[in-house]
Amino acid sequence: MRHLLVLIMLCWAGSAQAEAIKPSQVLQAAVVNVIRPNVLRFDAASRGLHSAMQALCTAPSAHGKAIADVQFGLVVASYGQIGFLRLGPMMEANRADRLLFWPDRRGIGLKQVQAILSGQDSAATEVAGLQGKSVAVQGLGALDYVLSGTGAEDLTGPEGAFRCAYGLAISANIAEIAGDLVEGWFAPDGIADHLQMPQEANADYRNETEALEALVGLVSHGLEAMRDQQLNPFIASGESPAKPKQAPFWRSGQTMTLLRGTVLGMRSLIGDSQLATAVSEKDKGLANSIDFEFRNALRAIDLVTLPVDQAVADGKQAAALGYLALVTSSLQTMVGEQLSAALGLSVGFSALDGD
Amino acid sequence: MWQRRAFLRAAGAGFAASLLPRQVAALERNELVFASAVQTANGSYGAVLLGEAGDVIAQVALPDRGHDVTISAQAGRGVVFARQPGTFAVVFDPAGQAAPVTLTSPAGRHFFGHGVFSPDGRLLYATESDFEAAQGVVGIYDATDGYRRMGEFPTYGTGPHEMLLMPDGVTLVVANGGIETHPDYGRAELNLDTMDPSVVFIDRRDGALVGQLRLDAGLHQLSIRHMAIDARGRVWFGCQYKGAPSDSPQLVGHASMDGEITLLELPVETLAGLRNYVGSVAASSDGAAIAVSSPEGNLLVTIDAEGRRPVLVDNLRSGCGLAADGAGFVASSGLGALVGIAGADRAARQFDFQFDNHLLRIA
Repeated sequence: MRHLLVLIMLCWAGSAQAEAIKPSQVLQAAVVNVIRPNVLRFDAASRGLHSAMQALCTAPSAHGKAIADVQFGLVVASYGQIGFLRLGPMMEANRADRLLFWPDRRGIGLKQVQAILSGQDSAATEVAGLQGKSVAVQGLGALDYVLSGTGAEDLTGPEGAFRCAYGLAISANIAEIAGDLVEGWFAPDGIADHLQMPQEANADYRNETEALEALVGLVSHGLEAMRDQQLNPFIASGESPAKPKQAPFWRSGQTMTLLRGTVLGMRSLIGDSQLATAVSEKDKGLANSIDFEFRNALRAIDLVTLPVDQAVADGKQAAALGYLALVTSSLQTMVGEQLSAALGLSVGFSALDGD
Repeated sequence: MWQRRAFLRAAGAGFAASLLPRQVAALERNELVFASAVQTANGSYGAVLLGEAGDVIAQVALPDRGHDVTISAQAGRGVVFARQPGTFAVVFDPAGQAAPVTLTSPAGRHFFGHGVFSPDGRLLYATESDFEAAQGVVGIYDATDGYRRMGEFPTYGTGPHEMLLMPDGVTLVVANGGIETHPDYGRAELNLDTMDPSVVFIDRRDGALVGQLRLDAGLHQLSIRHMAIDARGRVWFGCQYKGAPSDSPQLVGHASMDGEITLLELPVETLAGLRNYVGSVAASSDGAAIAVSSPEGNLLVTIDAEGRRPVLVDNLRSGCGLAADGAGFVASSGLGALVGIAGADRAARQFDFQFDNHLLRIA
């Protein structure tokens, strides 16, 4: 009987040990279950958009335009899930800015896009020519204007040929960048291997602590960027009125699509990697608390059903946007400070958050 | 070694007389005093004045995250500046006799986390941003009149960061990081493709530009951020690279009022360990050695200033703050550690707060 009891205890202990996730499992899950699939989804959506633009330019029509608009929304949604992955291939070759030049406080990108359209700059209709131009005219922000800005109705007929050709080149450029991201995340001895199997000889991640810091930093800084660059600039604050035209993708009505994708991507990176469970017993509640706040953020986003220019003037929806800003700050504290501390990391302070 | 007597001489009789008995006792036990902005265990922000023995001699609460601290023995005051884009600076009495005074940057300006007193302690200079124009300015505050803002002059660049007073007592040297930010967008860097960093020398008497030095045009994304002055009066600087992570440009260099600016050739391994990010630069007491830190690479590098070569590489997790300590240095970390390096005879200590990026030695 005593032996049986010892055996049961050993089994229980073994089972408890098996439940404690190791950093290496977290890192592997982050890459294999979250980052790579999200990059692949963005790649697929980008190719879908390029295909839709090709069809629209070949046979301009309202129907073709509607399909391109839908595809653009899908790209924005999937971009949200990878836009905050500001490491590895995203940070090479100006890909982050080429995909989305934002914020654009001085409206530089808008002026340059308008100049291309009014001047019928043929170099902008070829991918190689476009890549030689300002990053602000190459990516999603530029395509938002092409598809939904002043004069976008021309895309349904032959008078929009140049505009469509420029949009087609942008979509090809986005698809090319997406392909580069896929290549980067699947390259042997690349960022994915280094994150999953950090080694002293690596130039980027020398140990598991540094790799975990990178993951936590992505979400902590992603939350900050979402709040400061994509949300706060357009919602009312104190005596400052709302400025809906400071919202990303306000023309195409995809602002909340971007925010939703971003929140989903960050929630997935923490939840699906089980990052917040790799902590000691006293901090085990943190995973639920973080996910609870992510769900609050998603609920707030889903309350905003009107276009942003109307949403900021609607009592309930404006309040939801304000609440989203609060939740984002709360999440940043939870991830950047509490989770970081629980994991024994130093993401939220001197390291990776410096000045 | 830094003795209490020297501290009293440096601080002035008024400062000594205003010490509380507990703080006097703390000073008696301490040979060195350091100051740093911190985050406390409960998440709040403050600044601390530390003794060598680990006594917290003075502590001041901050409304938000601070960055660097400057102290003037002549003024009998310390100032901790808000981290950019913060709009406050807190003037405190290290002796704890006077209540802290909070300064607020004027409309259209925010602080950049660094500042310096004039040699006589009568004026305080702070790096600030005229953020609508995306231009750096030096705010001038009258320490004899409640820190009234007297005016400003330009830094002749964007995104000024650390500012030091040159040994001549007249020239300010400012590191223009070159990065445009705007409070509407938090800390977002808005002009990475058109950055224009520089080191500028400014006559503090009239704000005139004495000289402006830039690195090669191909290095326009190398943000010059932090500085220290060596025994020869050369300004050593540390940079943060904003281009592709795989680029690995050199990050440490020196500039002089003679118009020279050059980057040091650090060995590849050392450079890789800095992770394109230098968080702090300090000179040893005799100015013969320079230390640079990278909290991202957990690396501290000590450089022989005369020989222009690294002589020691240390590891400290999240290590960033650096201050002179005899022939060596003291380093602080974002995880609350305070350690001696490069010959400093100092036992490592662990505090229950996190040090911000900079550590000031009061001397």
